[in-house]
Amino acid sequence: MTITKMIAKDEWRYWWRSKLATSVMLVGLILIAGSSILTAKQMTDAAHERAHLQSEAEEAFFSQPNRHPHRMVHYGHYAFRTPPPLGIIDPGIDAYTGDSIFLEGHRQNSAMFADRQASSELAIFGALTPALLLQTLAPLLLVLIGYNVITREREARTFDQLIAQGMTPLKIMIGKGYALVGVAGLMIVPLFVAIIFATLDGEPFVSASLFMVGYALYLLIWCIGIVLASTMMRTPSASLGALLAAWVVVAILIPRISSNAAVSLVDAPGKIETDFAVIEAVSKVGDGHNAADPAFTALRANMLQQYNVDKVEDLPVNFRGVVAGAAEANLTDILNKFAEERMQVEVAQANIARYFGWLSPVLGIREFSMKVAGVDLETHHRFLRETEALRFDFVQSLNRVHAEKLTFADDANRSSNPEAEKRTRVSAENWKVLDEFDFSSLPANNRIENASMSLMKLVFWVVLLLVLCRFVGRRAL
Amino acid sequence: MSNIVVEARNLSVMRGQTPVLSDINFEVRKGEVFALLGGNGAGKSTTLHTFLGLLPPQSGEAILFGKAVHSDVASVRSKVAYLPEAATLYGHLTAIENIEYFLSLAGIKKSSNEIVQALDRVSLQKEAHNQNMERYSKGMRQKTAIALALLRETPVLFLDEPTSGLDPVAIDEFNQLITSLAAAGTTIVMVTHDVYGACQVAHRIALLRRGALVGSFEADEGGKIDTETVHAAFAERAAS
Ligand SMILES: Nc1ncnc2c1ncn2[C@@H]1O[C@H](COP(=O)(O)OP(=O)(O)OP(=O)(O)O)[C@@H](O)[C@H]1O
Ligand SMILES: [Mg+2]
Repeated sequence: MTITKMIAKDEWRYWWRSKLATSVMLVGLILIAGSSILTAKQMTDAAHERAHLQSEAEEAFFSQPNRHPHRMVHYGHYAFRTPPPLGIIDPGIDAYTGDSIFLEGHRQNSAMFADRQASSELAIFGALTPALLLQTLAPLLLVLIGYNVITREREARTFDQLIAQGMTPLKIMIGKGYALVGVAGLMIVPLFVAIIFATLDGEPFVSASLFMVGYALYLLIWCIGIVLASTMMRTPSASLGALLAAWVVVAILIPRISSNAAVSLVDAPGKIETDFAVIEAVSKVGDGHNAADPAFTALRANMLQQYNVDKVEDLPVNFRGVVAGAAEANLTDILNKFAEERMQVEVAQANIARYFGWLSPVLGIREFSMKVAGVDLETHHRFLRETEALRFDFVQSLNRVHAEKLTFADDANRSSNPEAEKRTRVSAENWKVLDEFDFSSLPANNRIENASMSLMKLVFWVVLLLVLCRFVGRRAL
Repeated sequence: MSNIVVEARNLSVMRGQTPVLSDINFEVRKGEVFALLGGNGAGKSTTLHTFLGLLPPQSGEAILFGKAVHSDVASVRSKVAYLPEAATLYGHLTAIENIEYFLSLAGIKKSSNEIVQALDRVSLQKEAHNQNMERYSKGMRQKTAIALALLRETPVLFLDEPTSGLDPVAIDEFNQLITSLAAAGTTIVMVTHDVYGACQVAHRIALLRRGALVGSFEADEGGKIDTETVHAAFAERAAS
């Protein structure tokens, strides 16, 4: 057995015999395992529920009776996002943003939760996801178990006895670090099991194992940091104080500062301000329900000239449908412009906050975890864009039906003439314009690429602390 | 080749910004007991630390077996067993577990029989062998630590106040033990406040005051140093 292993084994024996360390370890394991099981169950339930709701919504849309196509534009449709396999460990911003969107003509709704129950459950358990426990609670438990690995030996003067047997401080540090890594390994077992489940659920092996590696690196950072603090401080209470302070700084303070910095550095227009700007911009588009709206005078003139006719009634297409389509396109352009601006602001803010990952490994792992799992802000934005594309597509397809399958005369007179009204009802066959919606994660390679910078932050911390260990180990007597 | 095992040559050592040892010289030959006496804070423990390679010399050299300690710290530590001042072992382990563990760190494997024998040699009572050491008295802890140092079976022993905490009978037994080890060829450097004991067992005594050697005494033909002389010298020169 190597010296390192002997020292580590003795530390384990000490922890085993001291009730405090064992109970802390036990509590940690139970919490992490419990939350893994709960979150996994709840996320898979929700995933099934959403897949079910999605096909139900599609079913409902397709089974609408024959009717005027514009009624279907207003009937609308739901799109749901199913969580990715690794979402059972880290639901990411899914827990705060919505997982479904109501898609309808003339507006872009924001995401919301499929049902209130899901959101309140997420709010309660959302606070205790395995990711959060591993990111913040696990380090705290490691601190409680390991803060005195070396200060305890100093206080009891057994450190001298170790030195007397020819140990160097660095060797002792490595041995103690090894023991702590063992504890971290235990804490990561529930994660390992959850990752196996995620793999069975379709998560590729590379991203699943990298996810594991990221968390292992993260806990390694804490193990090294704890040994380092325990070596640099002279008494157990000093090392405990220093480590708790460090935890507060990197787990609470820096994350707070990072989001404050992001908000204050990137100017985001206020919500009310934007809402008014949108209303003003949209009001210039004209009412797509009113073909006589002056906003469409130019369109009318163009069409009359193009088809070489004098009246809209003589056009080969239903001008009211053309207007509806043109209005929707213009409106969507404007809404998309605002939406893109908002998303850009959000991404800019997130990127500023992510810089703080160089200062706090807690932020580093948070970013890494969300990016590899595919539950980050960018994924949410992709969901918004894809649902918007779906929305625009089905609305315009219906507008095309409106323009091509209805005559202008029937359409214009349908409120006064019941016969004309009947003729404006098109066959339900036309509802098939709706594409099936299946929101899926980015391929593993892309997610890994996106996470590479955050992985660098974790590696940076490991290297930094190892260098410090060498430095401190040489002079720690 | 000379049989000088431990040698301080113009040795000066700093702790932080303060000089703790200044220009020390002494020699200890194979099989000799060398006792270092001096008031509190005189620099006795520091001397041992320097020879163990725990502190670098500011100038001069700490030499073991003809080699400067700092040129090869690892080989020095394998040749030296060191009893730290106020030695403590782990409270959560028994004496036997403690000794097994620390010996294994030094790369030594002893049977539990040999360990029990060593504990008997320092006369630690049998009932205590398998008790956790947190229930030991100071003297019992000291005895266990001495047993550990002996079991290393190194050619050199550095002992920092080995008799502190021992009862008078145990001190006598310890002195006999030291004498027989030296007779068998072990070189012993011992820091102590026990002037009488030092005069009994030491071949050479050095007086240290504020980091400087202020006196040294050698055993006469009878192998003894006169206690009165050392006492007087201590009171006159070494008391800070
Ligand atoms: N770790 C340390 N850091 C700084 N100074 C120290 C340290 N240990 C000891 N000293 C200083 O070095 C000087 C010599 O200390 P040393 O421990 O060698 O004394 P000593 O002769 O062994 O005393 P005692 O009889 O009390 O054990 C003292 O002035 C002490 O204050
Ligand atoms: Mg001392």
